[in-house]
Amino acid sequence: MNYPHWQLAFPGGLLIGVVAILHVFVSHFAVGGGFFLVTTESKARRENDASLLAYCKRHSKFFALLTLVFGAISGVGIWFTIGLVSPEATSMLIHAFVWAWAMEWVFFFVEIAAAIIYAKTWETMDASSHMIIGWIYFVAAWMSLFIINGILTFMLTPGRWATTQNFWDGMFNPTFWPSLVARSAVCFLLAGIFGYVTLPRLGDAAREKVARWSALWTVGGAVVLPIGLYWYLAKLPLFSHLYLNGSLIGVTHAVRGGLGFTALAVLLAVVFGLAKPRWINTPVVVVMVVCGLGSIGAGEYLREFLRKPWVVNSVVYANDVRAAEVESWQQKGIARTANFLTTDNTASLEYGRNVFQLQCGSCHAATGYRGMKSRVDGWDAAFAADILQHIHVLRGTMPPFAGDETDRKALGKYLASLNDEWHFTITGANRLEIGKKVFDARCGHCHTVNGNFRPLRGTFENATGPQVQDVFPALGSMSSNMPDFNAPADQAEALGFYIAHEANLPLAHPRAPEAPPTGVGHSQLQRPLNPREEVR
Amino acid sequence: MQTLPIPHVDPMPLPGPVWLFVALLLVVFTLHVAAMNSALGGGLWALWNYLRGRHSNHPYSRRLANELSQMLPVFLAFTVTLGVAALLFVQVLFGNFLYTSSILIGSFWLLVIPLVMVAYYGYYYFSYTAEKGKGIAGCVLSVSVLVLLVIAFIFVNNMTLMVRPDRWLAMYRAHANGWDLNLGDYQLVPRYLHIVNGSVAVFSAILAHLGMRKMKSDEGYGRWLVQRAALVFAGSTGLQFVFGMWLLMAIPRQIAMSLLRDPLAGSVFGLALITVIAGLLLILLGSLSEKPSALVNAGFGCVLATLFLMVCLRYLLRLAYLKPYAHLDALAMRPQWGVIALFLVLFVGGLATVGYMLWLVARGRKASAAS
Ligand code: HEC
Ligand code: HEC
Repeated sequence: MNYPHWQLAFPGGLLIGVVAILHVFVSHFAVGGGFFLVTTESKARRENDASLLAYCKRHSKFFALLTLVFGAISGVGIWFTIGLVSPEATSMLIHAFVWAWAMEWVFFFVEIAAAIIYAKTWETMDASSHMIIGWIYFVAAWMSLFIINGILTFMLTPGRWATTQNFWDGMFNPTFWPSLVARSAVCFLLAGIFGYVTLPRLGDAAREKVARWSALWTVGGAVVLPIGLYWYLAKLPLFSHLYLNGSLIGVTHAVRGGLGFTALAVLLAVVFGLAKPRWINTPVVVVMVVCGLGSIGAGEYLREFLRKPWVVNSVVYANDVRAAEVESWQQKGIARTANFLTTDNTASLEYGRNVFQLQCGSCHAATGYRGMKSRVDGWDAAFAADILQHIHVLRGTMPPFAGDETDRKALGKYLASLNDEWHFTITGANRLEIGKKVFDARCGHCHTVNGNFRPLRGTFENATGPQVQDVFPALGSMSSNMPDFNAPADQAEALGFYIAHEANLPLAHPRAPEAPPTGVGHSQLQRPLNPREEVR
Repeated sequence: MQTLPIPHVDPMPLPGPVWLFVALLLVVFTLHVAAMNSALGGGLWALWNYLRGRHSNHPYSRRLANELSQMLPVFLAFTVTLGVAALLFVQVLFGNFLYTSSILIGSFWLLVIPLVMVAYYGYYYFSYTAEKGKGIAGCVLSVSVLVLLVIAFIFVNNMTLMVRPDRWLAMYRAHANGWDLNLGDYQLVPRYLHIVNGSVAVFSAILAHLGMRKMKSDEGYGRWLVQRAALVFAGSTGLQFVFGMWLLMAIPRQIAMSLLRDPLAGSVFGLALITVIAGLLLILLGSLSEKPSALVNAGFGCVLATLFLMVCLRYLLRLAYLKPYAHLDALAMRPQWGVIALFLVLFVGGLATVGYMLWLVARGRKASAAS
């Protein structure tokens, strides 16, 4: 809020995600593919295989065009994007790690020079010099991964840095090595997949050889990858672990998608590379590349998600608010602390929209991807203003609201304005259905009835609708994190009916409350209310 | 005076002394500008000679366009690589200004990324097709050059906006979505012309130097190149004085005066005038003389010196603008000396590695030419 907020029609985080996924896809290939090229070259020379060497030449041209241009420029694209979307976090990282980036830049520089030379000197350089260039390329590329990996893992697990602020503590943080292993494995995997893109034509002697050889890389990467990931999971902080317990649909999809894409890519490599290399054809290669992109996409999505609500754990929230400033903003209010607002009139809807952009805009937009409209349907302005105090305990991964009462009211008004106010004619036939709608709007963000996210069954089992309804006026005082109940009487009645109905359904699979990965408690309730307190 | 909305500086201390960041910034930015001038100026030279070679079948023009076509992607690669380093260091010192101005023109600013890709792939395409001289090679090259001109324009917008906090809030209120440019700024037009025309001038000096080396293997072609390049260099340098004066007049008197009266900035400016005039004379004389090498070399050195001095002057101008708002001396500092030392070691090692690779290239060329 120090900085102007770039007001987009979609969440800024989505933009970072898209740019990052494309870049990671190509840049990991840039590392693994370098290794692939130079080892394939030496294999070709050792075996005196002219057609394999011709393949290397062609592949190196493709490699240079993809990595030097798209790979390198999209990397700059990440710089541009994070500076635009999260200037505060970018600035923080630059202050802590500018020398890491400077070192990384040295390797980047060497890498670019080596890639250009390697692709251009097939004819004019003797074999051993040419391979030296290839090796220099690979070492430089992998070293730049090594350094960037330090900064990326730091953002999730600052480790001892949190107390010492020591550069090396930050770099070699708890997830540094596991992540390095996983990323290196991905580099191999992608090198194999991309190896097929320039597959020699049908009838070329090298075609089957390349198909087999590339498959070995993909399979090799796929063998090491789970080891890295397993180790990585073991080092994750508690709050990240809890996101994996199944209560967040996006996370669940990403885990399934990531596993599925990777498994399919490996399966194709085994079948069309190792078992029946004669069968390989363009559509198969296309599917493999798409699978590679899919698994990178899922992996990056998860990595970003597990870090929520932070950009830099314990320092800067995902909405670019510094943890240290939250309290003062809650006291002073946004109108007095934000440098750039499009209006000074705190009573206006436009002000509410500004607050939304500042506090929620990096992860939500009004409509579309992770859109607000459907998520706040049924909220009235007073309820919205109230629940905003507890935004960090909703399902999701949200930072605390950093504004005062005026700001909450303004944002509440804005959120309520996204949908029409609810008016129902409740009958016996639609009572249950409407009760569910009311539940979703007023309780479902923080509770389930029978699920594993703050289940209400324990409280309301054996209660009747009116008995449930009797509890409502007391809700606000039952937990410091629960909003006051203010729904109209007819909706309250339907809600009571619905909760009582659900809480008394026989459970399909009566089961003991499942233990989350941390081993205590029975739901996401165990997640520390203030993730700041927990740094591992 | 009403206080302007300027984001406060980062609460974390600087991880190194200000002078070191300034020194690194000035050095890498000079190199970046040299590479950028080659990519843009070289693109314009290539375009002109490609068209001339095709229409009048001028053999030297043809040859030059071909040779340039191989260099352009490399120039652009180093423009980007060195630009990243400059961006890194400028963020450390002026992040709160640069992030803000970038966000205000955010949508255009981000457009730079796809645009660079277009220009870059265009240059590669040209490098593969220039020699055959067929098809749409010329069109593609024009698009690349045009795109680079647009990118330069967006950059000039950002660089002029970052020193104008007085314009920020109004711009934000007009276009919070970042579809905005710093168009009303008096600096914009002269500064843009200054940098674009400067690209032609600098690259012409580089070409004069290159032509002189070509003379060793092909006297006629090399001499043609030296003379052409010297001519264009002289013309664009003359024009550069005009744009420079325009820029100086456009800047508010008070800032211009504080710049010229400042002993450091004044002497940098004076020195730059001397080196540029010396460079002009030496290159012109060299191009006319029987044996141009010594004169052209010296002139080329003067041009590089001018480039560096101009980069310093540009930096001092920024300081003059930001004087009321930025206080570099007052920034908290906690240098990470160990890491800095490691960086310097790697930096030297990296340069040595690149040098070694270039040596391998040269050796290979010699050997393959001999066989
Ligand atoms: C902003 C989030 C939020 C919303 C919305 C919310 N609750 Fe809660 N609720 C909580 C929290 C947090 C607790 C405290 C759980 C604890 O401390 O163990 C809680 C506790 C409860 C409890 C006590 C459960 C127990 O085991 O002690 C009941 C009953 C309850 N909520 C019912 C409701 C109902 C009914 C609604 C909808 C009208 C609702 N809540 C809406 C956050 C919320
Ligand atoms: C760190 C990113 C982030 C920020 C900032 C953020 N949210 Fe969310 N929000 C999420 C995620 C992730 C979810 C859960 C996934 C989903 O619903 O798609 C979510 C879900 C929600 C939900 C639905 C909860 C449910 O159970 O369905 C609401 C309502 C919501 N956010 C409102 C807000 C508001 C209002 C703000 C600003 C004050 C805000 N969010 C800021 C990430 C964020």
